[in-house]
Amino acid sequence: MTAELRLTVRTADQTRRADITVDPASTGADVIQGAVENWALPRDADYTLVNTTTGQVLAPADLLARGTVREGDVLEVQPVLVAG
Amino acid sequence: MSARYHRHTLIDGFSQERLAATRLAVVGAGAIGNEAVKNLVLLGVGHIDLHDFDRAEIHNLTRSIFLRESDVGTEKAVAVAQRAAEVDPNVTVTPLCGDVWDTLTLARLEACDALVCCVDNFETRLRLNQLCLIAGVDLINAAIDSRHATVEVFPLSQPGAACYECHLPESAYARMARRYSCGGLRRLAWRENIVPTTAITASMAGALAASAALRLGEGPSATGRRIFCDTRAGTTTVAALARRETCVACSAFSRPALRLPAANRWDSPLRDLAGALDGDIAVRLSDPIITGYRCARCGPPPDAAQVMLVRARDFDERIARCGACGQPTVRVDIRDRFRLSELMELFGERPLPARHVLAHIGGDMVCIDLLAAGEAGDARAAPPSTREDAP
Repeated sequence: MTAELRLTVRTADQTRRADITVDPASTGADVIQGAVENWALPRDADYTLVNTTTGQVLAPADLLARGTVREGDVLEVQPVLVAG
Repeated sequence: MSARYHRHTLIDGFSQERLAATRLAVVGAGAIGNEAVKNLVLLGVGHIDLHDFDRAEIHNLTRSIFLRESDVGTEKAVAVAQRAAEVDPNVTVTPLCGDVWDTLTLARLEACDALVCCVDNFETRLRLNQLCLIAGVDLINAAIDSRHATVEVFPLSQPGAACYECHLPESAYARMARRYSCGGLRRLAWRENIVPTTAITASMAGALAASAALRLGEGPSATGRRIFCDTRAGTTTVAALARRETCVACSAFSRPALRLPAANRWDSPLRDLAGALDGDIAVRLSDPIITGYRCARCGPPPDAAQVMLVRARDFDERIARCGACGQPTVRVDIRDRFRLSELMELFGERPLPARHVLAHIGGDMVCIDLLAAGEAGDARAAPPSTREDAP
């Protein structure tokens, strides 16, 4: 298994984008937390992660090493919308 | 088909007859609900059950195509249904006013081809997800903010499909939990965060939701998907939603639940089931109930008889203050999981204050539908706040 994964993370509005290196033992929730903290995303919202390279929504609790994310993939942090 | 739908007939693969035979449940007659109903009515869908508990307010008018100033104070579902009937009288829109947990029986849901969820809170979304899992009915979840629109398709009529909770982050559950005291009673001071929305995001979500509900241009599929639109940037992301094997909501459902209609009392099939299994099965009630109510200083408070064995959601944290000594020293126990024998002992001949009971028996999820009797005229299925007026 690769020691580290190099990925790109962006916000849904694509105004924030960063190339990151993560431990494959990280979860989607870890990536989301990093995005919220580093980009000061609103804390009164919830977020999910989408792998735009594979077109899959990632379960927040799943390990990135589970095969859902590969080197070079682009992950998008999307707010969970709730208003109707 | 009438000349009204002539342009539809020119579209390859478009079946007006199929649309006319389609029945959908739309829950929420707010911004997205208005837009979804507008599209469904213009397309000529046969029947729409429109559920909403709320009344129109003046601030709704910036996002609700069917509401007028004269509708302020009117039940939203009734006002929208009336205006929709003016658009196309061939479409039947049935307004169902009241809490959808009371108005949407499983039999009514099973009669629908899909449910379009246009509500404004997590709790109702979770409840509708559970009902669609039980009934095996496709769920279309639509939501917005002031910039984005999202529509998620959960084809729960197909085995192996993801449900709404498969990808819901823990933070959403934590947010829901803040509405309740540590004992599980509703907090009085809780104020829902108001999320601003616009007609632009609502119309986007309503159009995508209507298209998804009708499966325009596609056949049945077990693959769930999320469409996420940024209406300012004009970008859209489409992603697949895979079922999560450890999902708290759907992992127990290998297929739609086996539904056993029952009167809301201890007769068949509950009594038969309990007899056959010696009452020794774990069951889960649809509605948590109050099973303990005692002041640490005075013993049972004066209103104990009115509170015990009643749905917890009918009360808030005020009942934790003792009516005798005035102190917040009342311990309230709330449960939704029981042994069947225990439940029978607790309630005796009294009706269960719940809409259904779930039990996992022999690899199948069994749903004892306590509202089924209402379909034959029981008052429980038609609470006073519910009105069903075909326009």
